[in-house]
Amino acid sequence: MLHLMKYDVKVKLKNFNEIFWPLIFPLILATFFYISFGKADEADFETVPAAVVVSQEKDDAFLEFLNGVESDDSRLIQIKEMKEKDALKALKDKKVAGIYYAGETPSLTVGGVGIEESILQALLDSYGDAKTTMENIAADHPEGLGAAAAQLENYEELVTQVSLGGKTTDGNAASFYALIAMACLYGCFIGFGSAMTLQANLSALAARRCVTPTHKMKLILSEMVTAFGLHFINVVILILYLRYGLHMEFTGEMPKMLLVSFVGCMIGVSMGLFISSLGRMGEGVKVALILGVSMICSFLAGLMNGNVKDTVDRSFPIINRINPAALIADAFYCINVYDDPARYTRNLVTLVIMSAVLTIGSFLVVRRERYDSI
Amino acid sequence: MIKINNLVKSYGSLVALDHLNLEIKEGEIFGLLGPNGSGKTTAISCMLALLKYEKGTVEIMGEKMAPDNYKVKQQIGIVLQNVAVFDELTVYENIDYFCGLYVKEKGRRKELVEEAIHFVGLEEYVKIRPKKLSGGLLRRLNIACGIAHKPRLIILDEPTVAVDPQSRNRILEGIQELNRQGSTIIYTSHYMEEVEQICTRIAIMDHGRSIAVGTTEELKSMIKTGETVTIEAAVLEKEQIQAVRNLPHVFDVKYESQVLTVRCTGAKHNLVRILNYLQDENISFGRVFSELPTLNDVFLEITGKELRD
Repeated sequence: MLHLMKYDVKVKLKNFNEIFWPLIFPLILATFFYISFGKADEADFETVPAAVVVSQEKDDAFLEFLNGVESDDSRLIQIKEMKEKDALKALKDKKVAGIYYAGETPSLTVGGVGIEESILQALLDSYGDAKTTMENIAADHPEGLGAAAAQLENYEELVTQVSLGGKTTDGNAASFYALIAMACLYGCFIGFGSAMTLQANLSALAARRCVTPTHKMKLILSEMVTAFGLHFINVVILILYLRYGLHMEFTGEMPKMLLVSFVGCMIGVSMGLFISSLGRMGEGVKVALILGVSMICSFLAGLMNGNVKDTVDRSFPIINRINPAALIADAFYCINVYDDPARYTRNLVTLVIMSAVLTIGSFLVVRRERYDSI
Repeated sequence: MIKINNLVKSYGSLVALDHLNLEIKEGEIFGLLGPNGSGKTTAISCMLALLKYEKGTVEIMGEKMAPDNYKVKQQIGIVLQNVAVFDELTVYENIDYFCGLYVKEKGRRKELVEEAIHFVGLEEYVKIRPKKLSGGLLRRLNIACGIAHKPRLIILDEPTVAVDPQSRNRILEGIQELNRQGSTIIYTSHYMEEVEQICTRIAIMDHGRSIAVGTTEELKSMIKTGETVTIEAAVLEKEQIQAVRNLPHVFDVKYESQVLTVRCTGAKHNLVRILNYLQDENISFGRVFSELPTLNDVFLEITGKELRD
């Protein structure tokens, strides 16, 4: 068995398809993501210019809030008090992204739709929510007003708590989680390689192995153990690269992430083994098939755009309930963002069931010993 | 060593093996000769329990062959038609890998691997990966992977396809040497010269059936042709051709592209008789060849078509 495993590892480590797609490609993609998101976020966080129009029945608290945000280290906004006429002209000339009306009920006028406008709206919403909360506390529990005020002052922390590479926001984190999911599914290339050396009707090499006195179960077991193990190491390398190379913050528990990754790797490898063992399509067709399946799953899990996952979740929730990439990405989200153990457990159980079905299925296919044709 | 009884194997409506019967004795170099598609490789795959078949039995070394008959598999070495090695491993690692599937003990395996490398003459290439080897060297590696564990029975399926003459000779000599060392060999090929050169007994296959079995001499004695005389003659009249046909022991005459081909039975002085006739008739002729029957003649006479077709 050790003899088999030693050479199975050697073969896998020297096979281009079994190293590039499951390991190198995700590392490259992670780097590209980091560079592109980093640049986008630098742009996102440029100080947003805004005008403030103060009416007679002004809300002093709102003005204080805006001043507080402006003077904060994050330099999120730069406000300038103007008359309404000047403010509207500045908005039209795009010198400001929006106009805050600091009346009895603060409001916002923006000139378009974009990140800057969203930031201004988010600040207004944040103030509105805080004000409502404070009013409710003052009415029901006046003794806790001081503590609540201190808590709400810390609004910035709520905005920046989930950060990747020190800059990115939740939407980008979703892409990185989908990337990890994609890396897990790319274990299908290792599964493909294993199928090609196990199924006598797929290659002469497999036929030669099948006529030796080595029990077929040993051959399968060695292939599966080395494939799962090596691919798990691939994904661990990716996570370590994200954490220490790209300085992504994983706030959740690492063992939970590793558990999800391991089950994800099993799904990827066994999916490749299963698809490659079925039928007698050409190698190119099979590679295209496994690549297509993993890419579609990863796309729906938000690899290219985090909104895709949300859209699928809203419109066709069943798809992401059975999409392994979405389940892996969601499990990572649960660990690092939501802190939702129930949802994490549900995702993990679904992944374990999928991996068991695929592993048993692929095992049943490759354990065949006689074939109709070779 | 091997008994195949009434083996039937079909691929859909195509019958690949049609009640094939074979018996191969220990110590033989047994040749399976036949054109492409005659069922040689299918027969080998059925023997090795890789293929399902509809009917018949295969016994090897007195035991029914089955995928889980590891005792028998332990004593078989296989060299497949397509090179079956790992591109990712070196020459040494490939031989060591396959030898290790038969021989567990490390020290013994090392000895066997080195012997196999020496046997096929790949000493200079042990650290090279297969992709960098020439076609001939690759075939030698393919053979080394199949024979390193010193099996009692070696099955070689067209091992010399696309091999240069030098490597081919080396491979053929190697096969004879393996046989001298005690291995029984099954050798499939569609090259009749190779089979004739090394095999002690031959089965000629066509359409999944064994149409003739015996030594080269036995096979040749099965047919009418004892000698084929070929003469370059510029002009021959119909009457003259008919006269040649009427000569003693002549049973077939063809005249095409100024070449006269005369098939005679195995009697003596056929050539002299034909040349005397041509001289008597003042027929000018050029080069003259006389050939003893080949396995191609055997195949031609039994099936009505050339082995090379």
